Amino acid sequence: MGGGHHHAAQVPASLGRDLRACLRCRLVKTYDQFNKNGCENCKFFHMEQEHDRILECTTVNFSGLISSMDPTGSWAARWLRISKFVPGCYALAVSGVLNEDMQNICEDNNIKYVPR
Amino acid sequence: MGAQNYDDDEEVEEEEEEEPEGEDLDDDEDYEEEDRKKRKRKQKRNSYVDDVAEEDEDEEDDAPSRKKRGRSRASAFIDDAAQVASDEEEEEEEEEEGFIEDTIPEEESSRRSRIPQRPALLDTGEDLEDIEIEKMLQQRYKTTSYDTYDDSEATVVEQQALLPSVKDPKLYMLTCPVCHEREAVVCLMQKYLDFQAKNEPLLIKSAVAIDHLKGFIYVEADKEAYVKQAIKGLRNIFPKTIHLVPIKEMTDVLTVEKKSFDIDKENWVRVKTGLYKGDLARVLDVDHVRQRARIKLVPRVEIQELVAKLEGKEIPKSKGFSVRPPQRFVMQELREMKVHIERRRDARGDHYEQVANMQFMDGYLIKNVSLKTLNAVDVMPSLDELQSFQKPGDDDSVDAFGLSSSRKRGQFVKGDTVVAVEGDLKGIQGVVEKVDEDNVEIRPDKKSGLKDVLRFHIKQLSKHFEPGNHVKVTSGKHEGATGMIVKIERDSVRVFRDSIVETSEVTCGLTKLGEFELHDLIALDPMTVGVIVRIEADGCQVLKGTPDKQEVITVKQRDLRKRLYNKMINTQDRDTNVVSVKDIVRVVSGPFKGKQGVVEHINRGILFVQDRQHLENGGFICVRATSCLALGGSRGDKQVNHIAAAFSSLKPPSQFLQSPRRSPVRGPYGPPSGNNPGRRNDNYVGRSVKIRTGPYKGYRGRVVDASGGRSVRIELESQMKIVTVDRDILSDIGDVQSSFREPTRYGMGSQTPVHPSRTPMHSAYMTPMRDSSATPIHDGMRTPMRDRAWNPTTPLRDDTGWGAHTTSPQYMQQPGTPLATRSYEAPTPGSGWANTPGSYADSGSPVEAVAHYGNPSSPYLPGTPGALPMTPAVPGTPGGQPMTPGSGVLDPTSPATGKLEKQWGLPELMVTLRRNGDTTIGVIEEVLPDGYCRLSIGDDTVTVSHSEIEIVQPEKNDRIKVVYGEFRGVSGKLIGIDSDDGIVRTGTDVKILNMKFLGKVGK
Repeated sequence: MGGGHHHAAQVPASLGRDLRACLRCRLVKTYDQFNKNGCENCKFFHMEQEHDRILECTTVNFSGLISSMDPTGSWAARWLRISKFVPGCYALAVSGVLNEDMQNICEDNNIKYVPR
Repeated sequence: MGAQNYDDDEEVEEEEEEEPEGEDLDDDEDYEEEDRKKRKRKQKRNSYVDDVAEEDEDEEDDAPSRKKRGRSRASAFIDDAAQVASDEEEEEEEEEEGFIEDTIPEEESSRRSRIPQRPALLDTGEDLEDIEIEKMLQQRYKTTSYDTYDDSEATVVEQQALLPSVKDPKLYMLTCPVCHEREAVVCLMQKYLDFQAKNEPLLIKSAVAIDHLKGFIYVEADKEAYVKQAIKGLRNIFPKTIHLVPIKEMTDVLTVEKKSFDIDKENWVRVKTGLYKGDLARVLDVDHVRQRARIKLVPRVEIQELVAKLEGKEIPKSKGFSVRPPQRFVMQELREMKVHIERRRDARGDHYEQVANMQFMDGYLIKNVSLKTLNAVDVMPSLDELQSFQKPGDDDSVDAFGLSSSRKRGQFVKGDTVVAVEGDLKGIQGVVEKVDEDNVEIRPDKKSGLKDVLRFHIKQLSKHFEPGNHVKVTSGKHEGATGMIVKIERDSVRVFRDSIVETSEVTCGLTKLGEFELHDLIALDPMTVGVIVRIEADGCQVLKGTPDKQEVITVKQRDLRKRLYNKMINTQDRDTNVVSVKDIVRVVSGPFKGKQGVVEHINRGILFVQDRQHLENGGFICVRATSCLALGGSRGDKQVNHIAAAFSSLKPPSQFLQSPRRSPVRGPYGPPSGNNPGRRNDNYVGRSVKIRTGPYKGYRGRVVDASGGRSVRIELESQMKIVTVDRDILSDIGDVQSSFREPTRYGMGSQTPVHPSRTPMHSAYMTPMRDSSATPIHDGMRTPMRDRAWNPTTPLRDDTGWGAHTTSPQYMQQPGTPLATRSYEAPTPGSGWANTPGSYADSGSPVEAVAHYGNPSSPYLPGTPGALPMTPAVPGTPGGQPMTPGSGVLDPTSPATGKLEKQWGLPELMVTLRRNGDTTIGVIEEVLPDGYCRLSIGDDTVTVSHSEIEIVQPEKNDRIKVVYGEFRGVSGKLIGIDSDDGIVRTGTDVKILNMKFLGKVGK
């Protein structure tokens, strides 16, 4: 069935130091991309509106990179538990956890936050 | 069919969702079927129905209309097997709804808390408009959709369920330029999206770049062809190598070790970089998001410098090398210096002092640093360091850190000698038998008169040591040091004893501290160096390189900066002799005048000399090179000559130098012994050595230069090459052959034939019997021509030739030459060789020649000299054989005997006659003066040459005559044989004589 039914996330515009990974879904984009469009999976953070949250919700401290093209069909995506997320580039692992405020936001949106 | 059972349940929920929609749509869409299956499975798993979960799933379908499906049909499709098989595939869509509910109760309860909403919806469901319900549902999906992703809390079991199967896409490993892994992966993503937009989608599923795997990426696809297609045209992925990753290894690829962040509040860390590199710090606060930590350090701030800086003065900057020792800041001092101190409060309400741009709290420096500059692994703070973080008067704080607690246990171990310090039995001594928890069982010593094992509380006991015990310090500053108890004082003992354990280990303490070793030369700061003279648990004592003044400082490990190497450094002594490391010098002026030792380190005209007689600082003294004299160097004045004279005793005896080849065989050259140090190498030059280990193992060579300290230069015999090897791996072959050959080139011709017999010759003076036989036989084996040519023309040559292997030429020329050599020198012209030229001429083969010499068997190959002594025939070697040194050897004091023995025959002796290939036994009747004997064989009497007969070895109880040796001619009876020795009774005497000396007496 392919990944086409979801809108794909932005592809990282650069591979420099400003690459960040979302602490909740591990989506990897540049700071600017988060700044402009927020996180495609975690829209409730509204990073595109509240820019301060970018620092809180994303981290530069991630390792590995996986391009998930067909999340539902990919074993790797399933193994990494990103098969429900939109296609895009994800970190294999992130370090750090959402701070309490952000966790509260998750809760408010009925989202259980699982630290990765 | 198992699924059928659940249909009823399902009906209920289906109603909720689907009836409002009221539409029937394409039932045969695959994923719908899957949805069905999922649902069923879920129900199977969960006894209760979870609507939210259902809705989550459905949310995936963009069109609500699609949800309508033929329930019964679907269920007909489902069988258990299918469910199991599709498990994995479903997982991804379905997520772990079911699992979570099964395994995580709290999750369940949180869901339950949301459930009340549902009845409301259901209750009102009938009344609402379809659209409204749809909206509500959508609303709900929206909020919960995230939920589904996050439920995936990875327990081991769940992750197991995700293991790859054959049905899953495969992983292919591809190569790409190093450090472009991420780029390649991102490019693939971009390409995928681009091609999707063009409606010709790539068929790859994912692409993975792993940080630590340089030059490789993984691409997931069902077929390799898809991978090739996808990477076509991408220049940052190499198409040539595509490897399939085995299923079993797939999970390894993606199992990324989560970067562990051990750094947390209150942790001890070490700073990795900068001024505080290696310093212990305590983490006050961590900001994981910004990757920064707030740490507390013992400041390394020079107050003077700080003040100067604050006042705007230019600070003469010492070169960046120097590091000030860490020290707590005393604010009072700063205040006195009228430094502006701001007192502030941080976010947590703690007070701190702001000085310049630094923050201080209780005298500690507070810094905000990046987490990357901290090392939280293997921190192991030492007690000293912890103490420096301890507030004065805050005694318990170290304990509070959870360290020293370990000391409480295991304080006593079996075998410790203890003394009771409390209780009724106070003062009793004993040996620990058993320790459990807080109780210790001890066996009282005999003095107490008690026999039973006593039980004490751990607090009632104290370790007991006696002066003279050898102990090892088990903790504290001097940990690892061993020593002997010299004195026990009441109070200090208490403290001391607890941390020492009786030991038989004898060391001079630790010898290594990190990369530094005892006696290393280290740089303390740009101007001073020092030698490590003692290593302690977390630091070392360093003898500073201040000449003529013994200054020892203690340096912590973290303050040790740089090790200096001085292998190639030379300096000059007072008389401008070159002094290099390992030379021996004598101090001729200054406080250490008279000391003498080996130069261990040289640094800027300063020598670190190790004098074994010096008891302080590991024997190290630090002196100026100009106040020393190198021993063995060239000297300018009388005083030096005097020293040289003193030193001459250290040198090897002079004759060694004059004739190196004569120096006794010493076996492997070990390290130079104590009495032969310094310029001790000269006598090795020219020696033949063999290299025992290393790349040149087995090579032989000649030492050409031995002045390079521990290493010597060796000219290899087999290669035109001079190599430098360590002295320790050499073994001596003994003589100096090459240098010796030069003057006796004459003898070179004989060298080769003589060579094989070298071994027996060598032993000539040790095992005479062997030799006497070996030599002639060996000759016999050789081409006769050679021998004959050899003997008459250069009678001395064989001497030289032989001598070359036994003694030096000087030796030969000395008047006192042993008779052995002389003895066969003289008779040479008239030897048996000359007497029996015919036999030589006749003999077509060496073996025959041997036979002519009366050797019954011929095992006497030159290469097997070991066999020789076993043969009885040996002494029967023809008389007059010039090469028979046997006589001289056997009885060097009486050359006459030696000569006589060439005609060894004695009347009555039974002999074997070998003539014309026959052997007959006869008895000597008379020995004729010219080397012949009259032999009676049976009734005949024949005259034979000595060379044709040999002794018959007697057997036990035979009557014998002693043929050789000082008892020659003595008759007796052989009463026993003990391998080579015969026990002979002569009259009343019992003698033990070599069997070969004995001959059987004929009747």
